[in-house]
Parts: sequence; C-alpha cells; structure tokens
Amino acid sequence: MYSSRQAWLFVLPALLLYGAFVAVPILQVAAYSMFSWDNGSIKAFGGLSNYSRLVSDNVFWTALGHNAIWAVLTLCFPLLIGLILASILAERSPRLVKVMSAVYFLPRTIPLVVAGIIWGWIYNPVFGLLNYLLDMAGLGSWGGAWLAEPGSALISLNAAGAWTFYGFCILIYLSAIQSIDPSLYEAASLDGASWGQRFRFITVPLLKSTTLFLGLYSAIEAMRFFDLVWVTTQGGPGYDTEVLTTHIYKTFFLVGDFGYAAALSVVLLVIVLLVGGLSYRILRQP
Amino acid sequence: MKLELKRRGLAKAATSVIMLATASTALAQENVVTQWDQFSNAGITAAGPAMDELIKTCEASLKDVKILRTVVPSIGIRESYRLAVSADKTPDLGYTWPAASVLAGYARTGKVAPLDDYYKKYGWENVNAFYRGRNSYQGKLYAVPMEQDLMGVYYNKAMFTELGLAVPTTYAEFKDVVEKIKAAGRVPIAFGNRDRWPATNTLSLILGLTAGRAGEEKVFFGDEPWRNPKFKLAAETFQRWANDGYFPRGFNGIGYDEANALFLGGRAAMTITGTWVLQDMARGAKFDLGVFMLPPIAGDVPAGTMWGEGSQWQISAAAPQNVKDAAASYIDCLTSKDSRKVWVEKGYLVPIGTTPDELKSWETLPVVKDFYTEGLKTPDANFYDLHTTVPESVTQVLYPELQKLIGGETTPDDFLAAMQASWKAAIDKGERWVP
Repeated sequence: MYSSRQAWLFVLPALLLYGAFVAVPILQVAAYSMFSWDNGSIKAFGGLSNYSRLVSDNVFWTALGHNAIWAVLTLCFPLLIGLILASILAERSPRLVKVMSAVYFLPRTIPLVVAGIIWGWIYNPVFGLLNYLLDMAGLGSWGGAWLAEPGSALISLNAAGAWTFYGFCILIYLSAIQSIDPSLYEAASLDGASWGQRFRFITVPLLKSTTLFLGLYSAIEAMRFFDLVWVTTQGGPGYDTEVLTTHIYKTFFLVGDFGYAAALSVVLLVIVLLVGGLSYRILRQP
Repeated sequence: MKLELKRRGLAKAATSVIMLATASTALAQENVVTQWDQFSNAGITAAGPAMDELIKTCEASLKDVKILRTVVPSIGIRESYRLAVSADKTPDLGYTWPAASVLAGYARTGKVAPLDDYYKKYGWENVNAFYRGRNSYQGKLYAVPMEQDLMGVYYNKAMFTELGLAVPTTYAEFKDVVEKIKAAGRVPIAFGNRDRWPATNTLSLILGLTAGRAGEEKVFFGDEPWRNPKFKLAAETFQRWANDGYFPRGFNGIGYDEANALFLGGRAAMTITGTWVLQDMARGAKFDLGVFMLPPIAGDVPAGTMWGEGSQWQISAAAPQNVKDAAASYIDCLTSKDSRKVWVEKGYLVPIGTTPDELKSWETLPVVKDFYTEGLKTPDANFYDLHTTVPESVTQVLYPELQKLIGGETTPDDFLAAMQASWKAAIDKGERWVP
C-alpha cells in the first residue's frame, strides 16, 4: 500500500502541469478582466465594470442565444441520427459494422477548419455544390445564399457541425448497444415485437445514460464552438451566426479590449463549468 | 615535449581569443533590425520580389544594418502586431496597417517611437501633409507611410466592347452601363463580402463621392453626426446597388478572393477595389484589363477617390537607439527614388511621392500606370478610408452593420444610428484619432 504522501508524489507532475497551463492562465484571465485596457496595455483598475457592461451588450446576448440554439439543434439532429444509424448498424455483420463505423467516423477526423472550408464551398452561392445539385434535380428555386441569408445561415452552419459530430455519436451509441444483453432482444422478438418496438422499448431506455453523456458533451462543445463559424462566416451576416467565442475573439484580437474579452471568457468558463457540473450530477445518479 | 605542447596550446588559445574579439567587434558594428512586413508573393500586397531585392540592396549600401525579416500575412498582421506589442515583443521595425486611429493608440501608450528627428534628418519630402497627418498623434510623427492605396473600378475591356459600352464619366452614365450589363445577363460588379471588410472599402468610396473630403472631415474630426444627409445618401446608394442587382446573388456569402476570381474569370464586367490587389489582377487577367475612377455621386462633390497609406513603417519605442537609427536609415533607403523604381517595376506598388513623370518612364504594366495616373490627378479631393480612419471598436460595428444594410436587414437610418452610437462610445473612451 502506498502512503498518502507517496500518492501525492505520483499526482504532483500532473498537478504542476495543470497548474502551469490551466489554473494559472485562468487566474490571469480573471485578473485581466478587472482592468481596463488601451490597445494591449493596462490602463486602470476597473473592478467589476467589465462585467457590468455585459448587461447592455446586445451582441453578447445574441451570441449566447445562438449558442443555446446550436446546443438544441445538436441535441436534435446528430444524436438522433447517431442513435438510429447505430441501432440499424448493430444488427449487421461484424465486418460491415467495422467498415461503416470507420466511414461514419471519417468526418470527425477532419480538422474543423478544413471542414469549414469544404462546407463553405458546398454552400457557396456562385459555384457551390448544393445549389448545383438542386439545379440538377430541377429544384433550382430552392437554392440560395445559404451562409449569407439571415434565415438560413445558423442552421446551415449547424448542419455542417452535425456532419462533423454524428459519426462520434454513432460510435458511442454502437458500443453502448453492443453492451445490452442480447437475450432482451431475443425475448422481445419471440413475443412478436417489431424492430421499431424493440428500438423504442429496449434500446432507447437502456441508452439513457449514453444519451445524457452525449447530450451534455455536445452542450459543452456548443458553448466552445469557434473554428467552423470563423472560417465560414466570421459571425455574419451581421450578427446572425455570432457565438460567444467569435465575440470574444473579435473583442480581444480586433478591438484590443483585453479586459472585456477576459470578462467574456470568464463568463463562458462559468457557463461551461455549470453545464459540466450538471452533467456530473446527472451521470452519477443510478 | 610537454612544454612544446603547452606552448602550442597557449598559442591556439590566444588565436581563439583574438578571433572571438574580432568577431564580436564585427557584431558590435552590425545593427540587427528585426522586421515584420506583409510583402508576400501572391494575394494582397504581393510585392515580395521587390522587398527581397531591396533588403539586399539596402544591406549592401548601409553596411552596418542587418535585417532579420519575418513575413506576416497582410490580413493577420494587424492582430499579430498588437499581440506582440501587448507582450512587449514589438519588432524593431514593423510594416503594418492601419495608421491613423490604431497607430495613435500605439503612440498614446508609448509603444512606437516618435520619428520627427528622422523626418528632419532625412527629409522624406515625398510624404505629403495628408499622409503626415494620418501618421501623427498630438503633433508628433510616428510612422513613415510608403504604399499608397487607391480605390477604382477595374473593368473587362473586351466585355465592354462586346456590349458596346464606354467608360462612364458621370454617375448617370455609370448607372446606365450597369443596366446594360444586367440586361445582357452578366454580373455588373463582382463583389463578395463574406470577409466583412470589402464592403467597408466600397462604402468609403461611395461616401467620399456623396459627402466629399470636407463632408467626411466634419464627422471624423468635428461634431457633425453620422446621421447627416450626405452620409445617408451614401448608405442609401450602397443599399440600392445591392437591391438593384449590381452585385452577384448572395454577395455576403462570397469571399473577396472569390469575387476577384469571378471578375478575372470573365463572369463579371467590373469589380470595385483597390491598388493593393493590382499585382494579382495584372497577373490573373486573361483579357485586356482597364481601370477608371467612379464619378461623383452627389452633384456638388468634386471628383476623387479613396486613398490611404495602406501600411506604414513604424519603429519600436523599446528598440535600442543604435537599432532605431539603423531602422531609420534603412527606411530612408527603402523610400529613395532608386528603391521606388524597384517597388514599381518588381512589385507593381507605387510608393508615396512617385511623380507621374517617374511612373511614365519606369517599366511597369499599363494598368498600373493608368490606375495611379487617374487616382493621383485629384490629390486635394481624395478622401478617407473608413476602416483605417475610425477606431477599431467602431470598425467592428461597421463590418456587421454594413452586412445587414446591404443584405436588406436594416434601413440606412438604422445603420447610421448604430454607427453614431459606436462613434460616440469611442469618442467617450478617447479612441478618436484627429490628425
């Protein structure tokens, strides 16, 4: 048995690294948020004044709303698609499962910046693939400037985000389905249950904790999303795809208002911690 | 034997010491200047070949100056430079943008060195009062502008001939040209604003041609609000262009480079942009490329175009005095008449102070000569570039608000109200730059 002191010694390297690269920078950002800055230089101590600006910052509230919409859409689509495809795939031969899992997971391996460029081309109003395919199908009137119209920009971007995420959901669901006792399905089949009934009354209830995990994971991811939005729209048109991370980026790098950007970052951190804490509590429940 | 070995060892050591001393003396005489610039070989500011040649030329002529160069892409250099400044890692010499309000911010916080003594020493008479103003803060000069950006209308001469069009000399004629291009089923103006900044340049041009330089200065440096009839006319004009099909469908979703490709691919008759992309236009056009200046939009405004310094050389306040002196002598070399010729001939970049006669006699493409000859005809009427003149906090409101305006999401009044609010906030925070 190791003593408590020895246990701490084992943990120490990781703690030092965590402290140097996570805890200290977070404290620094929190400290920066207490000052007003002028073009990258500290101007004066401002206390909580940067935080009080949040109340009247319309862009902040718009961005927060978009993050929430993003989270809800992610919960609706990639999770649902992942659940259905994983359920279908689970009943196929092991070889097909392996091949299709790799195929579905492929988009997840593409860096989001590259995915953004690819989807930017697909949605391009002049030479985009989507409008071209619609034209070919005789549905040219359905085509549009997907990322340039206020009504379609956020949803189009979310669809691109879903494309990068659904493969991950399939893999997680697939591994969870494979851990369900097969005798449950056999018994249900003997009782004459259809595929849909087995899916509804066995698969879905037994995947509750997996769904919770994926849901909360995607909610946290939705708050941290940046790459895809920045590469494709930079938050535009107007503020129609603005999210918290793009607002922070602009405030920090483009305006040079380091104090307010730090305050926004602290708020984002608190939101992510709250969602993370909630997920921890829910997942711990039996 | 041992003694002999010892002697040889001592002799070697002495030789090494002498060599080290000589080397360190040479190093002491050489002033190493770290330089950040944006001269790449393609895209915006693609005058890289000229920069390469001039570094060699200036190092050879100045002897004691050694340039340690880093190329930072033009679009990102503004942010990279700010980060370097905030971390107290300001490069000794930076060729960055913008001047005016952003340069004033660095001057205000003591990050860039005042250059008045160097202006006195080297003259730099090529930098006129307009440009000196844009590179000043509270009466002191903080940078040496070199590149001059002008806005104009690039057009496809072959398409104009095919459609029987003549270069417009009045705004009514311009509108007529656009209508004829539309009637022929072509895109009149290749325009893409996904990157958000291109619309700001277009508005700068329209604003100058509705309000004029004097009208702009009343707002930028005086108390006139953004919500004035001239500025409203500019906002209305830009929105009307968007609504009336002057631009390709979905322009807010088209990138700047894609819009240029649309023009260079012969799918649009014109594109309205600046000299910063002359290099790519000249190399990429497979047709006879022409350029003209957009005529005044309001009746009482003189002809002119948007101009700015594009970027400017600025020296770190934290650099040692010998490095500052070396950097200043190097700037003098870069902006000399001989160097200006290299910029023009190898970089298609016409530095500030280049005369029409010089331009005529130097070897460069006709479109380069045409653009600058036309643009420099009206130095007293040429006007401001919005996103290098207003503070960054205002620019970051201008970008999205313009997307909304031309996308039809807001009215010109809404746009001007949003601009006025951000303008007032910037003034209250002391961010406004006044020459």
